[in-house]
Amino acid sequence: MGLIALLAACNHPDVPTGAQQESRLPRIYPDYTEVTIPYNICPLNFAVQEGAEEVVANLKYPGGELTYGKEQKVQIEEDEWKNIMKASKGKSIEVDVYAKIAGTWKVFKPFNIYVAEDSIDHYISYRVIQPSYVAYERLSINQRNLTNFDEREIYSNMSVSTESTGQCINCHSYQNYRTDNMLFHMRQGFGGTMLVTHGELRKIDLKTNETLSAGVYPSWHPTKNLIAFSTNKTGQSFHTKDLNKIEVQDTESDLILYDVEKNEVSIISELDDELEVFPTWSPDGKKLYFCSAHFEYKNDSLAKETEMIQRYTEVKYDLYCADFNPETKEFSNLEKIYNAADSLGQSVTLPRVSPDGRYLLFAQAEYGCFHVWHADADIYMMDLATRKVQKLDAVNSPRSESYPSWSSNGRWIMVDSRRDDGNYTRPVLAYFDKSGKAHKAFALPQKDPYFNTFFLRSFNRPEFMIEPVTITPQEFAKKAKEDAVPAKYARR
Amino acid sequence: MRIQIKYIYLSAFIIVAYILLPVMNADYLYTIQDNNVFISGHTFMMDVVDHQGGWGSWIACYLTQFFYHPWLGSTILIALWALIYLLTLQLFNIKDKYSPLALILPLLLLFNVLDYGYWIYYAKTPGFPFLPTLILLFCLLFALLLLPLLRRTQHGKWLNELLPVELCMLAGAITLIFIFPPQQINILNNHRPSFLTTLSDKNFKHEMRMYRALDEFRYDDVIKEMEAYEKEASASRKESEADIDFPTNLMVIYKNIALMQTGRLDRMFELNNCGTIPKQNNGPEIHISQLGSALIYYQFGQMNFAFRRAMESAVKYGLSFRNLKMMARTALMNREFDMAEKYLSMLKTSTFHREWAKEHERWLMSSTDFLQSMEYQTLAPLMHDDANTLDDDHGLCDRFLLQHFAELPQANTPLLEDVALCMSLWAKNDYAFCVHFYDYAHAHPEETIPHLYQEAAILLGTAENSPIEMNDFRFDPLVSDKFNRFVSTYNTLLQQGLSEKEMGKRMWEPFGSTFWWYYYFYTDFTLY
Repeated sequence: MGLIALLAACNHPDVPTGAQQESRLPRIYPDYTEVTIPYNICPLNFAVQEGAEEVVANLKYPGGELTYGKEQKVQIEEDEWKNIMKASKGKSIEVDVYAKIAGTWKVFKPFNIYVAEDSIDHYISYRVIQPSYVAYERLSINQRNLTNFDEREIYSNMSVSTESTGQCINCHSYQNYRTDNMLFHMRQGFGGTMLVTHGELRKIDLKTNETLSAGVYPSWHPTKNLIAFSTNKTGQSFHTKDLNKIEVQDTESDLILYDVEKNEVSIISELDDELEVFPTWSPDGKKLYFCSAHFEYKNDSLAKETEMIQRYTEVKYDLYCADFNPETKEFSNLEKIYNAADSLGQSVTLPRVSPDGRYLLFAQAEYGCFHVWHADADIYMMDLATRKVQKLDAVNSPRSESYPSWSSNGRWIMVDSRRDDGNYTRPVLAYFDKSGKAHKAFALPQKDPYFNTFFLRSFNRPEFMIEPVTITPQEFAKKAKEDAVPAKYARR
Repeated sequence: MRIQIKYIYLSAFIIVAYILLPVMNADYLYTIQDNNVFISGHTFMMDVVDHQGGWGSWIACYLTQFFYHPWLGSTILIALWALIYLLTLQLFNIKDKYSPLALILPLLLLFNVLDYGYWIYYAKTPGFPFLPTLILLFCLLFALLLLPLLRRTQHGKWLNELLPVELCMLAGAITLIFIFPPQQINILNNHRPSFLTTLSDKNFKHEMRMYRALDEFRYDDVIKEMEAYEKEASASRKESEADIDFPTNLMVIYKNIALMQTGRLDRMFELNNCGTIPKQNNGPEIHISQLGSALIYYQFGQMNFAFRRAMESAVKYGLSFRNLKMMARTALMNREFDMAEKYLSMLKTSTFHREWAKEHERWLMSSTDFLQSMEYQTLAPLMHDDANTLDDDHGLCDRFLLQHFAELPQANTPLLEDVALCMSLWAKNDYAFCVHFYDYAHAHPEETIPHLYQEAAILLGTAENSPIEMNDFRFDPLVSDKFNRFVSTYNTLLQQGLSEKEMGKRMWEPFGSTFWWYYYFYTDFTLY
């Protein structure tokens, strides 16, 4: 009993007495001050960056209070956190932070953590990759359980090949947040698209003679077994001075529709002088949103890649919408719904419609299509009922924000952000309330608060999922080694 | 008291190992640790343990960092080998007179460490110098611990005799399956012996010393190293009348950076400027992009490209102190302070690079310290050379830099004037030199034109259709007389029917330090 009491005392330090009051909030990392969180998320562990020898955080929640703190870190026991969340649902937790600095305890202005009554999807998945340029070596697509700290590989490229036969894996995508219909691409070594339909795994080659490339950026139709893809001829070049460092540019791009059942590819849009990209369906499947940049090559004596490099700042994408008849698979009524290029001199990418069909999130920056490398990129939202666009200040930072997505209940936004250091992309989450207001974004919690500091890979393309991927990495690897089944081309 | 002979053999081995490691190859061992990394903390540990060779690699990474002080890392390694020797004696119950047999494994391990040569830049397995030693040690300890237990249950004599071997094999299998997953020990798949490179290739050693001196901004030491090379090369030429010995491209680049940063770039041809690809036996396919391009870009003020090369190297060949420091430095110079802080936080957890990190961390706190730092003061003049452009070096940093600076539209500082002129000559870009030469002459009408530029102007000005009008300039008679002698000697040798190679050899002694010799006889400018 004595030992248990001692251990409990170690886990829950005493609240320091006689601490000097500080009138400001404590500097904590990640910044969880005044954030709204889902009641089912894992503990919000944080570090106190006050140069303290010791810290104590006193969490006051409805019906109790608990203290945590060891050296500079506040790491909360998972079972206790669950109880705190249960008691705080729809309410808030007040956090007093104490820091012993040069032998003197100080207590900072308390902050609140608001606990929403809305839950968050249990899983997210992302690609884990070094923010490198041309080289890649070890890539994996991982799934993370948001209710705890478990992270598992869905697939790792090292399981089938390395070195010169190494493969790039990218663009994982799910139908309606479920994993029995999902896909991701493999390029170079053992190339093809890994497609899971009704839990069955196939490997498809989406490149046909009539299309620009294999499918690239995907979007699953919500009700039909159809996937819209962009096809892209992509290149990259490097800034000698600009801190954006890289430009990833499409010299050509179109849109295609892939019929999963028939294994058929057809063209949605391949307009001359238009760079169509980033298709995304409305939740009812009756509209397809996408981005397109009008770009006319002017110099026949130059290769397209060269001219694109010279005129890269002129490439600006607008937002379009087309009606879709899921029965006939016909598109109609193409409409530019956001004229970002001409009227604002801006470029819109990565549109995503909220599950209720009311709002559309997108990333916007001055030019180009690869906003993860554009420090000025921010997340904006269009109210599709009024077509009014607003910048989501609560979600944005002075650095790059891109790849927005919605949780399945539409109450949480996830964005890929480089806010910490400008180079490593981390998912941040933000509450989106029923009135259409986004709340302060917070970092994906990690067991070690300094994980993001010491981890030298990015989390790219974070996607919500309501269930984990159950196909094992070994099953994916086995299939990856097989030849891809070529898709057929179907004229529309 | 009689000393057992097994300890005499061990002492002899230790002496040999010390001579071959910290005495003869200190720079090599330092470079190995520089291309290794060990970060304290859970995140790094799990990253290595989960993916890159298990706990063994993590321990090996920890131990490799001690090569920062080559004698210290060597002492640890030699102590482990001594342990292997003693365990082998005990496990196989080897009699004293046969004890040299137990030295076979430590000798092989010693050979293994010396065997890498240029592979040290390409090895992907973290902590590779200590890995084989740790594997073997684990096998021996495993066998030794289980042996007494199993001997109690075994009765057959032959089985008893073979038991240590069986146990070692079992331990080896366990090691490879659980501790060092085989797919991760990639160096074993790719490695080809290059023992001679490590022990005898002087340029390999010069490169390592010059890199370190450049990394520490000890430019005079870089030049001294090149002068030492010249002395060796000259001595060997005199002894054997051998062909002209060329330094490696890297040595030439390092030397020229040092000359540039000490305001003596116009001396670039006085120290051998004829780079060549390193000669090696069975080494890897080497590229400057992996060997030193990040530091080269950094020293030329090309921060984005330096960062890129450090990052790409970390991606392809694993994180290293070298990469991490470069990423921190370039972030500092680019004023990406949060990013710099991230890398410095990691470096601060290391045993031997902590002070470096703390020193650079001060720049985050104080912009005055940063702006007054020697590093910033040295590099800043090169960082404002032009506007941003989109470009790519396609893995060839020397070609990129030569083209970039030779074609500089505006050399608007004295340093950039020299760099533009000298890079034009280095690249044998006649047109670019002529443009920069006129700019230089107009900008400094009252000053004496440095001899190197006069040499080049005389040579190019006498060519047909040259844009340089010789009458516009006053040339030093010393230079023009020497040029006349060069032409006369050249014509004489030509009339004697000598091959170009032979002519170059004959003209090396009197004219090897001129641009003219470089221009006519250095034709083997291989990029790698």
